[in-house]
Amino acid sequence: MIQDVIIGIAGAGGDGVISAGESLITAAALEGYHGMMTKSFGSQIRGGEASCRVRLSTHPVLNPNGPLDVAVALNWEDFRRFGAELPVESSTMVVYESRTGVAADQLPLEGVRPGVVFSVPIAEMAQQNAGTEKAKNIVIIGLLAGWFGIGRESMLAGIRKKFARKGAEVVEGNARAFQAGLDFAEAHPLKEDRKLGAPHNRSAKMLTDGNDICAAAAIFAGCTFFGGYPITPSTEIMQFLDREIWKYGGAVLQAEDEIAGVGAVVGASFAGKKAMTATSGPGMSLKTEMLGLASIAELPLVCINVQRGGPSTGIPTKAEQSDLFQAAFSAHGDCLRPVLAPVSVGDTFGITVEAFNLAEQYQTPVIVLSDQEIAQRKETVEPIDTSRFGLVERRRPTDAELVNYTRFKVTESGISPISQPGVPGGNYLASGIEHNEAGGPTANGETHARMNEKRFRKFNSLKNRRDLFAVEGEPDAPIGLVSWGSVSGVAKEALRLAQAEGLHVKLLVPKLLYPVVETVYQDFFASVRRGLFIEQSFQGQLYRLVRMYADVPARVRPLAKSGSNPIQPTEVLERLREMVASLQATHQHAEAIEG
Amino acid sequence: MTTLTPVSSPKFQAGTFKSDLKPIWCPGCGDFGVLTALTRALAAVGRPPHEIAFISGIGCSSRIPGYTTAYGFNTVHGRALPIAQGIKVANPALLVIAAGGDGDGFSIGGGHVAHVIRRNIDLTYLVMDNHIYGLTKGQLSPTSHRGRKTVTSNFGSLEDPVNPLLYVMGYGASFVAQGSPVDMAGLTKVIEEGIRFPGFAFINIQSPCVTYGEEEQQLKAQKAKMQSLGAMGHDPSDLAKATELARDYGTKLYTGVLYRNPNPPPTYGEMAAERHHALESQAVPRHDILKRFLPTH
Repeated sequence: MIQDVIIGIAGAGGDGVISAGESLITAAALEGYHGMMTKSFGSQIRGGEASCRVRLSTHPVLNPNGPLDVAVALNWEDFRRFGAELPVESSTMVVYESRTGVAADQLPLEGVRPGVVFSVPIAEMAQQNAGTEKAKNIVIIGLLAGWFGIGRESMLAGIRKKFARKGAEVVEGNARAFQAGLDFAEAHPLKEDRKLGAPHNRSAKMLTDGNDICAAAAIFAGCTFFGGYPITPSTEIMQFLDREIWKYGGAVLQAEDEIAGVGAVVGASFAGKKAMTATSGPGMSLKTEMLGLASIAELPLVCINVQRGGPSTGIPTKAEQSDLFQAAFSAHGDCLRPVLAPVSVGDTFGITVEAFNLAEQYQTPVIVLSDQEIAQRKETVEPIDTSRFGLVERRRPTDAELVNYTRFKVTESGISPISQPGVPGGNYLASGIEHNEAGGPTANGETHARMNEKRFRKFNSLKNRRDLFAVEGEPDAPIGLVSWGSVSGVAKEALRLAQAEGLHVKLLVPKLLYPVVETVYQDFFASVRRGLFIEQSFQGQLYRLVRMYADVPARVRPLAKSGSNPIQPTEVLERLREMVASLQATHQHAEAIEG
Repeated sequence: MTTLTPVSSPKFQAGTFKSDLKPIWCPGCGDFGVLTALTRALAAVGRPPHEIAFISGIGCSSRIPGYTTAYGFNTVHGRALPIAQGIKVANPALLVIAAGGDGDGFSIGGGHVAHVIRRNIDLTYLVMDNHIYGLTKGQLSPTSHRGRKTVTSNFGSLEDPVNPLLYVMGYGASFVAQGSPVDMAGLTKVIEEGIRFPGFAFINIQSPCVTYGEEEQQLKAQKAKMQSLGAMGHDPSDLAKATELARDYGTKLYTGVLYRNPNPPPTYGEMAAERHHALESQAVPRHDILKRFLPTH
């Protein structure tokens, strides 16, 4: 029995490859398995090649990457187009369409000869049973259900539901195609060491992706206004909210451009509502001026940036962690706005709620750095008890404060009571121009300095939020990893692999990236003899950002790599082994000197 | 033709809407007249200052919200309209006014005008059109005429001006008017009508720049040139005639209501309210929002 299986399926657009993957992970989630599914397409808008990777496990899945345990190829041209996204090794079990005419010992895979290969007449089985080759994907899920013992009943129920409106004949045809897959699997059983173990607990998991759960979190947090502009890979947030937010008396405004989108959000916030926008790199560039306005006017708002490859159009459909500098610094003038990053689909819920809370508490824009991978991968999530999450509302003026109301009053915390149109006595002028405590425009240098100081001081308490940093592994381990966002899943998996080898490692995962909480990093670095930042960007932006604020010793280095080329846990493990070896060498050297 | 709701005993005086801030405008600036006309119009409309949100961009004229007692928001250059729309959609009960200059509205923010019109969000947009960039000291504006010499068009502008009236009519605006501080009563009246109009209302105001403006844009010249649409017997429900008259922008100066749609389309707010009413019963409690992610096969 194995605890973890990675299945990759590729075919032509229209082969139903994605729908097969979705059926599989849905069945797995229902039965209590953990899983992740990623999709990949050719660059054509429609048609072209399509593939998916489904990773299923008896334990929580930390990242979707790794070589395939099972490869399913409906045709080899399309399969090969995905290259490193569907890595086949000699241990991979290969299932392919017989009609390709390729001999089982002559697979068109460079330098690899998989040991277990099945040539299956998938199209023929579909045609014979369902009367159409369209049922190829049904045969595939039958095969996988049969081999891994997942979803025999639930997938069949799903087929019946899906085809119900097409009539009994279609339903039965597809059910027969599914059964044909099951029969083939039964006739060609897997060896024991390829079968997947039972899930740890059989309670159903939620199944969703980062964009949908982010939008759901916004609804939970009380967001009633979304303004934005469609942009890959963030658009599903707007799409989800458009389906839901109206039911709560809210609105989605698809603006004429990114600037107007966030502008409307600034307006809605001024009007007293919790409001959000979502975008990706190019949109963030355009929204920058408005974010500065929200900072100086001290208006709460949440801005989700689903990161993709950049600069400019970059690689819109692939994840990268290269917008951290932009999130922290893209504003003219002195300004500070919190930047948060979720580490997984499930974590996106809490981080988005936190973003609304921080925005309200500190009367500030808050940026959430999601990324394409978290945003668009399907992931099983343990049911979340929403009652654990408190909601924060902006500090509104009391009746006494509405007498001679002073909007930007310099208080001890730096946070001033914020009124909103409609409230008698709370009338004030909000502005992007520097203003005095009463809101009156000013060019006075002393007032500017005082207001800047106030606007920075209000974030002091944010630096006490140690709960926005997670540490895992042995507390006294001599080697420390630092990683954020989706890549922290890779780091976490590498940590597990290292621990299994007896290596002593720990991992720091910051979810509050900016302001940099210097002490968290300094304490962590002080406790290790070697450190490694693991990041999906060319420059290693977190490593460099932390160096701006904290003393980072030379023994802490970055492992940074451009996006669209995921860092693999095994790659991190290799570095960890080297670090351990170098530590031992240093130790022996020291002993020799002392000896 | 829509008639104004008569206000028999105004609850407010114009002074109620004037703040204590001293305007930075040059003595004689047309914007003083706009401020006076606006506060008089607001007094006539009768909504208290705290129910008014007054949004502007950047420029001399965009300082205007601070000179009123309404909730004001002096935003960034060219973006008064998106922010004003967010406010109105978020709280439809507010009276929302947007204001700015010709550069704000038809250069840097020109892209937003088409969209507020097609959304028909119920707000009033006042453009103080002075044909020049005053705050930055005299550069070419989108409504400067061809041949105009400024510090950024030393040999004369090679560009034709934008025609604000035709621009908004082209996108289907339902209320289009023009005014001038030369005629305070008329200006007050069109602002009041614009505010009362159910839907997006556009008012172009010939507000001269006394420092960088040309002779022909000053109040004296305007007075000689001005033609009241009312006195001309213009029927504001006549779209074809209104469009024809709008073409004269730059050569003639018509004041009054150029076009008022006799059958105004539903506003964004009205349609949103209907949708809210139709959908509210479908809302699951917010704390149950995640339940939809539990799979069912």
